[in-house]
Amino acid sequence: MKTLVVGMGNPILCDDAVGVRLARDFKEELGRIPGVEIVEECSVGGLNLIDLFLGCRRVIILDSIRTAGGEPGAWHSFTAAALLETIHLANIHDVNFATAHALGKAMGMDLPDLSDILIFGVEIKENRVFSASMSPELEELYPRYAAEILSEIRTVLAPVCVQGNQQRQMERPQLL
Amino acid sequence: MTSTIKIDPITRLEGHGKIDIHLDDDGSVVDCFFQIPELRGFERFVVGRPIEELPRIVTRICGVCPASHHMAGAKAVDGCFGNEVAPVAHKLRDMYYHAHYIHSHIAHFYALAAPDFVCGPDADPSVRNILGVVSKVGIEIGKQVIAARALAQRIQQIMGGRTTHLVWCLPGGVSKGLTREELEEIKPMVKQLSGFADFSLQLFRDVVLGNKAYVDLILNGPYTLDIQYMGLVDQNNAPNFYDGDVRVVDFQGKEIARYKPAEYSDYVAEHVESWTYLKFPYLKKRGWRGFREGIESSIYCASPLARLNVADKMATPRAQQAFEEMFATLGGHPCRALMANHWARLVEMVQNAEMLERYCADPEITSGEYRLVPRQITGAGVGIVEAMRGTLTHHYTCDKNGICTSANLIVGTTNNNAPIQMVTKKVARALIAPGKEPDQGILNMIEMAFRAFDPCFSCATHTLPGQMPLDVHIYKKGELVRRIRR
Repeated sequence: MKTLVVGMGNPILCDDAVGVRLARDFKEELGRIPGVEIVEECSVGGLNLIDLFLGCRRVIILDSIRTAGGEPGAWHSFTAAALLETIHLANIHDVNFATAHALGKAMGMDLPDLSDILIFGVEIKENRVFSASMSPELEELYPRYAAEILSEIRTVLAPVCVQGNQQRQMERPQLL
Repeated sequence: MTSTIKIDPITRLEGHGKIDIHLDDDGSVVDCFFQIPELRGFERFVVGRPIEELPRIVTRICGVCPASHHMAGAKAVDGCFGNEVAPVAHKLRDMYYHAHYIHSHIAHFYALAAPDFVCGPDADPSVRNILGVVSKVGIEIGKQVIAARALAQRIQQIMGGRTTHLVWCLPGGVSKGLTREELEEIKPMVKQLSGFADFSLQLFRDVVLGNKAYVDLILNGPYTLDIQYMGLVDQNNAPNFYDGDVRVVDFQGKEIARYKPAEYSDYVAEHVESWTYLKFPYLKKRGWRGFREGIESSIYCASPLARLNVADKMATPRAQQAFEEMFATLGGHPCRALMANHWARLVEMVQNAEMLERYCADPEITSGEYRLVPRQITGAGVGIVEAMRGTLTHHYTCDKNGICTSANLIVGTTNNNAPIQMVTKKVARALIAPGKEPDQGILNMIEMAFRAFDPCFSCATHTLPGQMPLDVHIYKKGELVRRIRR
């Protein structure tokens, strides 16, 4: 059973890099687990993501997020099932991930179920200014939330036989 | 008393772009502003870095067309090193870029444009998407779309090593050539893509041209602008996506400018408005004349339709047939109907496929001489390619040590900022009238206006939720009286 761990984000767009940095820092430990592959840097969406997820039974996405009232450094975890409500043509430039996933499934593509796509979203402060550094606030809190997220991923990955079909249903945060 | 309608599209990184429509007392549209916040600081970010790194960095500007930035950046860097480039490297880059075009055009036509025509512009948003398209045209066609897209991506992977965020182009060439084995692997894929391009054109004929209402919408709706057109052409005035001269024609077909990439700053300038971060490029020699249509207007657009409008012909035979059919149907060349951008993408895709076939038959394409190591630093370069959504210009300078001292970028969509502004207002005026309250259908008709340009406002898109709800707020005397949301 192949599990993909994906660092999602733009490495030179300030806090948007947090997912990429987490994936790089987790690579050594998680990469040793049989069946786990790491994609350190991914900054595509929609149809391109289903190409990436092809053949995977489970995907763990490390990403940034901005929610109403969210504090930088706080983090959320939820499955892609929480994105189901976004199936409509409202993105002017690409289909959203839930739509792309539904299309792929309908076409018989070997994709993980939405409930097996686990997303960790770290609240960020700045993602509109090009910078190779994260904001001081997010940088200062990095050791804490990185450790917490890694611990959670260890729990998810370790007892595969017990947790493989675990349904994670959390309310989707309200995006800014 | 003025009322305001706000269409507020929100995505995570596509920003808080919104349309504000201002109404007068009787409910007629007074004005319309399309506002986009821009990601900031890229030009400053790259100053001080080795110039040869820029093509690898600029792919991070945009998750949607990174190869376009990579190619434009590579050409600008070639210029900084004296423009000595291995001949086969130009062919390889061009070949790669044709595959990239097909990959992008498939996504836009089937996922973004087709829902409006196959499902209908008034269809409920819950079905007006690619899933709705597949349910109408059949699952087998859906499978063909997915397969063709995967083939185009595989060709890019074979040639460039990666499908996104290329690290392939180097000063003077590319980092790897194409082996004979790789070429043999690509050939059957190209054959399939060639058939798929023809198939897509036929689907357009059947679904869109076979429906009189849609043809009327394209030709007689409010989706027309009397402005000028820009695009890259080769020496025969056929479209060239990777290289060539920039040609500008007016909407009556008269050439009003033609320039080499290095001359771009003599021909294009940027106007600034206080209500938006995004600049408005215009034809410099004419001067800024406002958001005005007309044969003297200094506003131009750069898009698939613009590329075909500036061309006298296509570069390949089957694309030429498709070109002639398109303009004959649309009443002549050039064409002012912006919805024809969708058709133009399919005509381009035929040329892309034929060019891939041509390169597959080129004995030089597997040459091992795919890079010339630069011997000098000349300090400045301009790279222009046609990004899928418009003419893309990168201009770099560097010092004698090859360290970047400045960068200026005019991205594809920025060219179209003024036309998008103008057509959005035009459509809003045509559809919103006294006593006629905006509904979902009208919202989509307005959205279709800017969707025709396939605009890309983010330049770092990885919209995981991909959500872009539209919120329309209608105010009367300062009070919210109606909200339409999806």
